[in-house]
Amino acid sequence: MRRFLHEPLVHFLLLGALLFAVAGLARKPSQNAPGTIVITRAQIDAMVSAFEQTWQRAPRPEELQGLVQDRVREEVYYREAVAAGLDKDDTIIRRRLRQKMEFVSEDVAAEVEPTEADLRAYLSAHPEAFRLEARYSFRHVYMDPERHRGTLPADAARLLAKLNAAGVHADPTRFGDPFLLDHTFDGVPAGVVAKQFGDAFAAKLAELAPGRWQGPVESGYGAHLVFLAGLVDARTPSFEEVRDQVRVEWTHAKRLEANEAFYAGLLKKYTVTVEPYATPGAKP
Amino acid sequence: MGTAPFATQESNLKRILTPIVAALALFASAPAQQTPTDMGTPDLKDAPKLFKKPGYSPYAGRNYPTRVLWGDTHLHTSMSLDARAGGNTLGPEEALRFARGEEVVSATGVPAKLSRPLDWLVVADHSDSMGVMDEVVKGNAALLADPTVKQWHDAILQGGETGMKAAYDVVETLSAGKIPPVMSDAKLIRSLWERQTAIMEKYNDPGRFTAFIGYEWTSNNGGNNLHRNVIYRDGKAKADQLVPYTTADSENPEDLWTWMQAYEDKTGGSLLAIPHNGNLSNGRMFSVETFKGNPLTRQWAETRAKWEPLYETTQIKGDGESHPSLSPSDEFAGFEKWDKGNLMLVPKTPGMIQYEYTREALKNGLAIEQKLGVNPFKYGLVGSTDSHTSLSTADEDNFFGKHSGVEPNPHRYEHVVMSFGGRTLMSWEMSAAGYAGVWATENTRESLWDAMKRKEVYATTGPRMVVRFFGGFDFIAKDAMTRIPAEVGYAKGVPMGGDLRQAPAGKSPTFLIAALKDPMGANLDRVQIVKGWLDAKGQTKEKVYDVAWGDAATRKPDPRTGKLPPVGNTVDLAEAVFANTIGDPELITVWKDPDFDPAQKAFYYARVIEIPTPRWTAYEAKRFGVTMPKEVPMVTQERAYTSPIWYTPSKL
Repeated sequence: MRRFLHEPLVHFLLLGALLFAVAGLARKPSQNAPGTIVITRAQIDAMVSAFEQTWQRAPRPEELQGLVQDRVREEVYYREAVAAGLDKDDTIIRRRLRQKMEFVSEDVAAEVEPTEADLRAYLSAHPEAFRLEARYSFRHVYMDPERHRGTLPADAARLLAKLNAAGVHADPTRFGDPFLLDHTFDGVPAGVVAKQFGDAFAAKLAELAPGRWQGPVESGYGAHLVFLAGLVDARTPSFEEVRDQVRVEWTHAKRLEANEAFYAGLLKKYTVTVEPYATPGAKP
Repeated sequence: MGTAPFATQESNLKRILTPIVAALALFASAPAQQTPTDMGTPDLKDAPKLFKKPGYSPYAGRNYPTRVLWGDTHLHTSMSLDARAGGNTLGPEEALRFARGEEVVSATGVPAKLSRPLDWLVVADHSDSMGVMDEVVKGNAALLADPTVKQWHDAILQGGETGMKAAYDVVETLSAGKIPPVMSDAKLIRSLWERQTAIMEKYNDPGRFTAFIGYEWTSNNGGNNLHRNVIYRDGKAKADQLVPYTTADSENPEDLWTWMQAYEDKTGGSLLAIPHNGNLSNGRMFSVETFKGNPLTRQWAETRAKWEPLYETTQIKGDGESHPSLSPSDEFAGFEKWDKGNLMLVPKTPGMIQYEYTREALKNGLAIEQKLGVNPFKYGLVGSTDSHTSLSTADEDNFFGKHSGVEPNPHRYEHVVMSFGGRTLMSWEMSAAGYAGVWATENTRESLWDAMKRKEVYATTGPRMVVRFFGGFDFIAKDAMTRIPAEVGYAKGVPMGGDLRQAPAGKSPTFLIAALKDPMGANLDRVQIVKGWLDAKGQTKEKVYDVAWGDAATRKPDPRTGKLPPVGNTVDLAEAVFANTIGDPELITVWKDPDFDPAQKAFYYARVIEIPTPRWTAYEAKRFGVTMPKEVPMVTQERAYTSPIWYTPSKL
């Protein structure tokens, strides 16, 4: 049963039934019989309260009478206009009605809750969307291009030799030029590296071999000598790790899907013919 | 005036749908028990210690922030009355997805993506009738019963010029405090607020991306902008206990502060408020009297300082750091100046501007402190967007504009961005917004909010340059040579937003300042220190010092005037490009105040200036192949402003 309730088609059918029922309700015979107009007490109360909200006082009798007569006039014109088909080609009315339909489908989609099976299925269908980024552990030494104008390659080679002599124990804060960001990064996601050093640096990091000082590697700031201590490859997470994220994405996708399914269902009722046409300006 | 026949139909529909929808939800949700996501638990997954730190590490025991977390304290979505009226159809979800780096399609159908994700976002929709405009457009029957609302609804649906006019009418009506009562119906407002906080909860992802709960309180007395963004440290459980304060409740900021106190008393939570756009307040933002025109009191000053640690000094509707008429000797004053009038473009009269700009307010704060014992304008500084497009864009080459009517298109520069009573502001006058850099230890609501509260934050006009600013009495030139400036900064001084007390005998304040360019942006022209003080006669003074600059080997101050020559200009307007062949990627120095008097109150903040780059209008001219009129600026020098460090002698 639950499975059944999840089918977009079922949503569509339910909605269809509802719309039908509502349309029936709205067409109360007492009010809407041809040739009869009834202005109800409820409608008059609504007019009074709307007036009061705007003018901060009750309407005077002649004002209320005017409102009622205006309502009658509106109803007469409305019915005659519909009868004459004046609503058919009116952009505003069409756009408005379309929006009401979209509103209806949106509202239903927002309320559906996923089961665990839904979420698991969503994760296996979209592993890329939840892929955990590669993480890097590295140290680096910065070389300010301004301080090494014309001598950067030679300076870098000399510094690199020094660093490799010290090897894994080289303390990056004792070499190179002052630098505002950290010198040691532990298990930092690729995206965070890119945000801090730029995309090119992050991409280059992925190509380095771990275990020795290398470089210079260019960043948005200048040159860096880098010791890659380790990396954890990007991977597809287990369901438990990303359950909450999957839920957010599932709900979002469902909303869009339900809107589409609703439309597709309605579209099925029609045979659509578009007459052949040429794109303006295109050569025949 | 009656309601359209559709409206009745729709209310029936809603009534019938609701129980069915509820039943559906009941069925489906039973097995999938969701853990309540109470905030405050940092995501341990995200801070793995994959490699043991070497024993010699100088980082041992270090607990200061090492990374700037970038965000926007001020973004509007379709939940804001005016944004929705102006054609923005993107809601908070799209706003959050965009901010965390995803591509979305803007309300006008343009695909949009940030160059780099933001780390956090405050969706600050207007509290007045929050979410209601969305209902108006959708045609909520109860709302359309009001004739004004009905008129707006019809006009907005027509779109185009008519729709835009309706949007202005909404803003004008809101400004005049004449909002139709149906639009502030208590039940409706509560349910919409709960929907808003639920979305923030869903997207808040501690350690990776922080979605703050917040709103804008839009006090607009006659167009005099006294707006404040209220930011919650808390999650939904607390935030839902009170609905946001509105200007229907009061336009007096003192009443907002009272409400904030009431919130904290009731929930045990924490709030702060960030005012913005004093430049559009016609002398009211930093006025030296109260909202009602009474003299300031010590208690008033204490209350303001308590709730308002920060000021949003730069955003689309102009930059508010300094004004040329107040700082005539500052050649960089008046960046992206909006000084024609207030928010309804009511023209300014002489004397107003001195109560509108940040630097002057910081100065006046010292004078008020001298008199009352408390400085009410002790503001740290942030930049933000104030975009009404759900798109938090602040890059010159990726700027989506103030509202959906001025999203990228070949002729947007000549569109009107604001218009009241025949007075207009053109779209090309928009400043391409700014961001807030926060020195927080973790990317969580708590850690970021705490950093805001202690003012360890700074403003930029868009670029994400890294700026450190420390003050103390013992910094020496060698400290600028250390490879970890922050280490010595925290050890020997206080960071931006901090306080220096009575100077030790014979000593002057010293500052360690370090700035690193945006890794994807332009080199730095110079770093300056702006000092403001109160002299022996009680007069406020200011001075701007160039303390470090690019190309220093060849670029020297003029020996006669002491003035630093301009850095040059590499902008090629035809191609809308620049080259980092001038300026420096990083500037670090220690500076000692040469004009210090230990008996005088003072503040110091750093201003970091980039080399010239194309303004957003230049990128647009190139992309769309349009020629803009001469008065449209095409080149800019973007910048960062740090929160100040204040010096206070022990005797007032």
